[in-house]
Amino acid sequence: MGWGPRSLARHPLRTALSLAGIAVAAAMLLDMVMLSGGLERSFADLMLTRGFQIRVTPAGTLPFDADATIAGAGGLRDTLRADPRVAVAGAVLGASLHARRGDSVVTLFAYGVEPEAQGIYQLESGRDLAPGDSAGLLLSQPAAAILHARPGDQVTLAASLDPGTAGARAERTFVVRGMVRWLYDYRGQRSIGLPLATLQAMTGRAAEDRVSLLMVKVRPGADAGLVARSFRERHPRVAANSVADLVAAFRVRMLYFRQLAWILGTVSLLVTILLVTTLLTITVNERLGEIVTLRAIGVSRAHVVRQVMAEGLALTLLGALLGAALGLVTARYLDAILTSFPGLPAAFSFFVPRPDAIALAGAALLVTGTLAGIYPAWRAAGAPIAATLRAEAT
Amino acid sequence: MLLALLVAAQLPRVAIERRLAAEAALRVGDTVALASTADSAGTRAVVGAVFEPPADPAAVLRREYRVRLHLPDLAGLLGEPDRVDRFGVALRPGVSPDSAASRLNALAFGFRAYPSKAIAAESSRTFLVVSRFHRAIAVISIVASAVFLLCIMLLKVEERRADAAVMRFVGVRRRTIFGALLLEAALVALLGSLLGTGIAFGAGALTNLYYQRLFETRLVFSLITPSIVAFSVALSLALGLAAGALAAARLTRTRPMVLWGRG
Repeated sequence: MGWGPRSLARHPLRTALSLAGIAVAAAMLLDMVMLSGGLERSFADLMLTRGFQIRVTPAGTLPFDADATIAGAGGLRDTLRADPRVAVAGAVLGASLHARRGDSVVTLFAYGVEPEAQGIYQLESGRDLAPGDSAGLLLSQPAAAILHARPGDQVTLAASLDPGTAGARAERTFVVRGMVRWLYDYRGQRSIGLPLATLQAMTGRAAEDRVSLLMVKVRPGADAGLVARSFRERHPRVAANSVADLVAAFRVRMLYFRQLAWILGTVSLLVTILLVTTLLTITVNERLGEIVTLRAIGVSRAHVVRQVMAEGLALTLLGALLGAALGLVTARYLDAILTSFPGLPAAFSFFVPRPDAIALAGAALLVTGTLAGIYPAWRAAGAPIAATLRAEAT
Repeated sequence: MLLALLVAAQLPRVAIERRLAAEAALRVGDTVALASTADSAGTRAVVGAVFEPPADPAAVLRREYRVRLHLPDLAGLLGEPDRVDRFGVALRPGVSPDSAASRLNALAFGFRAYPSKAIAAESSRTFLVVSRFHRAIAVISIVASAVFLLCIMLLKVEERRADAAVMRFVGVRRRTIFGALLLEAALVALLGSLLGTGIAFGAGALTNLYYQRLFETRLVFSLITPSIVAFSVALSLALGLAAGALAAARLTRTRPMVLWGRG
């Protein structure tokens, strides 16, 4: 280690304060880099949890964005399955159902699913719905808790309630087959799953064969974007979006967070530049006599520049290491705040600690710290030897 | 011509929002086709009015177009006559919304009554989350600013080592030097605070200009209130004085020869 980085130990309080400042700035930078990239990555990962790369929804809508449904879903599904590039295609219908619990009525969100081609849940216990099992029911943990039900229990559901007669319409009794985790549910959402045809019949959507969306998995090697585009062109009444299309739409909605991340990340870098430059400039001014003495005995300007810049780099590196630890902790705290957004899928994260994000923040900080040393290094290398020594001696 | 006018007079009237009117080049009196889904036949209607929707932060990113119809026209279009999402109920003066909602809920089957206050609280949950996030970011920014300020003030005062040494050599008392350094720190903190306030107002104005144009809305995105300014200036002054006092105390405790670099 040269004399530049070693001189940081001469003023421990000053160095500690600078390190603290750089660490907080580095933590903020890391958090903002994670926020700007993590949003999209987390959303894309969530969309691809079960490998379905395309969503087909009513034209002008995104999945479960509106109450609109697609008619003639069976025909669309058959068209999709006939495409040699498509591996799996399944339909999903979302609707509200009601269950009695004692004297009260509980409203639940029901998914009508095709278990052989579904991409919206993962089985946790019990068993999945079997083909042709029209009386089977799947429950999420919050739904099971409110209904006090578990696999094997019976649950009676109604499609609608009539305030006029205080009676339920289209009531049916189901047997709980399994407990599942719905991938796109928000925290605490009371969701249940039943066969698509059953839910369509209960909610009066069987005649037109209406569904909320179709999910498509393409075969390995097939381009999901091309499949979505060709399907969209043949069926203009629906929106067929690949995960890349959905991420682009999501990016527009999350514009605020991305811009905030860029602004705060830039401010963090500016703070780091100011801190390092100020500290090094004052340190160089204090040591100008020593530096010109070194120059006088033959130490080159380039060596002086390297040492001053190494001092800035060492300061930034130490601050960045502290900041990385601090940033990961604050990211968890900030993520806990933002993931409490109402209606946000519980599996979604805003701050995703990825190696590339940490590397990017670290590289940006180190480059900044190095650049911040240019001015003080130039001052140190350019000081006139004789005049400075004379001034120091008086 | 007369027949066309007669047909148009029988069509339902709709009000469309200004943004939609501008983008679809629609004017009052134009006929539009409305459908509940992209694949349904729908119905025709006449644009009866163009309106400016209230600035709604919840809808600003959704970019949806709004159309207002008379209730029977919309119910007919959706194929769900005599079916509504909700009722608005105005109570007689003196009736408590909470007790009225409780009474309705005791009788309810298939619906639930909420006081407006509860709905407002529920619908503002998104903004409460954003507000909590902003507060958390503000705390981090304040910590960063505080450390930055402490550091800068320390360096600023330490830069005066030679001056302090000379003053001590000519007999100026430590307390006087301490006071002078503290005053200088206070002035620097005050000037920095004023400059920072100016930058904040400028940045806020730019933020509002950018987002208001981007989202075509009158919403205020950056609002700097007197209390925010007072808090920020007070905090930076307090931190500046604390840092200045700390550094000045260290400086005045040091022997003059050491300050002069010969100790």
